[in-house]
Amino acid sequence: MTEPPQESGSRRSFLKRAGALAATAAAGRAPAAQTAGKAETPARPKVIDCHAHLHHRGRASWEADDRALIDAADRLGIDVLCCSMLTPRRPATADGFRECNRWVLDGAKRFPGRVLGYAYVNPGCGAEAVDEVRRCVLDHGFIGVKLYNEHFCTDPIVFPIVEAAIELGVPILQHAGHIHYFLEDQPRISDGARIAELAARYPEARLICAHVCGGGDWEWTIKALRHAPSVFLDTSGSVPDDGVVEMAAKTLGVDRLLFGCDMSMTNGVGRIRGADLTDDEKARIFGGNMAKLLGGRV
Amino acid sequence: MILDVNAYLGPFAFRPLRHNTGPALVALMDAKGIDRAVVSSASAITYRNTQAGNEEVAAEVVGRGDRLIPFAVINPSYAGWRDDLHACRDLGFRGLRLYPKWHGYALPDPACLELVDAATAMGMPISIPIRVEDVRNRSWLVEVPEVPLAEVAALVAARPDARFLLLNGAGYANGPLGRKDSGLPANYLIEISRMDSVLTDEIGRLVAGLGADRLAFGTGMPFHYPDLALLKLEVLRVDDADRRRIAWSNAAEWLKLG
Repeated sequence: MTEPPQESGSRRSFLKRAGALAATAAAGRAPAAQTAGKAETPARPKVIDCHAHLHHRGRASWEADDRALIDAADRLGIDVLCCSMLTPRRPATADGFRECNRWVLDGAKRFPGRVLGYAYVNPGCGAEAVDEVRRCVLDHGFIGVKLYNEHFCTDPIVFPIVEAAIELGVPILQHAGHIHYFLEDQPRISDGARIAELAARYPEARLICAHVCGGGDWEWTIKALRHAPSVFLDTSGSVPDDGVVEMAAKTLGVDRLLFGCDMSMTNGVGRIRGADLTDDEKARIFGGNMAKLLGGRV
Repeated sequence: MILDVNAYLGPFAFRPLRHNTGPALVALMDAKGIDRAVVSSASAITYRNTQAGNEEVAAEVVGRGDRLIPFAVINPSYAGWRDDLHACRDLGFRGLRLYPKWHGYALPDPACLELVDAATAMGMPISIPIRVEDVRNRSWLVEVPEVPLAEVAALVAARPDARFLLLNGAGYANGPLGRKDSGLPANYLIEISRMDSVLTDEIGRLVAGLGADRLAFGTGMPFHYPDLALLKLEVLRVDDADRRRIAWSNAAEWLKLG
């Protein structure tokens, strides 16, 4: 694909700007022209998507799709994508998640500095899952663990994974949702209340509640996490509802919010850009909070 | 110039909305660079008597007619709808919004076709929100499906003289509504807010398959952050002229905004 020609003379300035510049401004980043020659300007936090996915290689177009993800990130001003890869069929086998994690590692090498890896495991695989988390983090620099819906996060079978993540100092991105009807295809989906319960059991764990804008009743989720101060909230998802970010900031505090897209890229960026918050607060959500959570791994 | 064909006023039954009064919505439009917006009643989605919601909107629009363009929510299965349609025309409403799934009728029903014909005779475009909320967010009280795109395609084919605005929809690119060669009349515009212009890039695929002259800008505000749709338009890979068509002129021609 090619870039469109530059616009000329449109009344609305935002239609003239490239997406990257807009996202940069929204994140509190100064355009390059304003910072040139000002060495004293403090480094701005990177824009970090805390929830992204590389494409499984069972999909014929995986390579082009991965490139499209980077292209979208470029257009939207996203510096770093924290990626996992899920097996097409779940519950995942140990061979299945190990294969996914190998491909994520390969993705991190293909897109250096742009892609960081979460190790996806099925806790039901016991020691094989714990070993995979250790291997990915210690040997390959993965920045966290991705847990999906094979088990509720409060199931004791998950605890060894949580304990390993605590020991390794990495966060767990927990797939989550609270929907007011039974999800037949996700009978063990965790929700904000279960993640809060896990946080009470392991207050030293760094837990991220995934995609509040793709997990059903977001007001419920935000309220459920209020008294779980160690839990971060990933703002990703396709639901475009107004007011999510402001309610989350008011209820949980800005420093517990992490920008994410979960592949809904314009919605992910747009809701932070549009939120009624200060530029500094947006910058913390766009990347400052995640950079702190990763403790210098970015 | 930006014309938002997908905006609302008033309260919604299942969660609070901000910016949902006339002054507040215009202030939001000013902040976001949106020149004009087509508005209808959010409360009329769940009111039994939708005309009460239309009257609320009419009151909010007074003095703001240069920015807000009212569309009436009419339920053709409810008593007195013909009276309501004429009353709305007299109040300055410029088009309709239909909620067949919320209001308990189907697009092919004779009463609905009669309403479409009556609105068309009055020069009113007819907008159809494919959904109100994402299904995952729904209240435990209601289970309202989306309007099937096949029903919409059948309606646009059956009423070639009518003009339809399709709102809050997705998945057009894979069906007849998204293709120029499908044999459907060119009597509908597809609003972009629920689709994307990166990755799946349904908006870009519709530009290629249907044409930029068949798309219209909309946000879903104040249900939605307007910034999402603005960003989709901003990063869409089209030329200057096509961006202006989508942002303003396609829908403005139908609404005779000049």
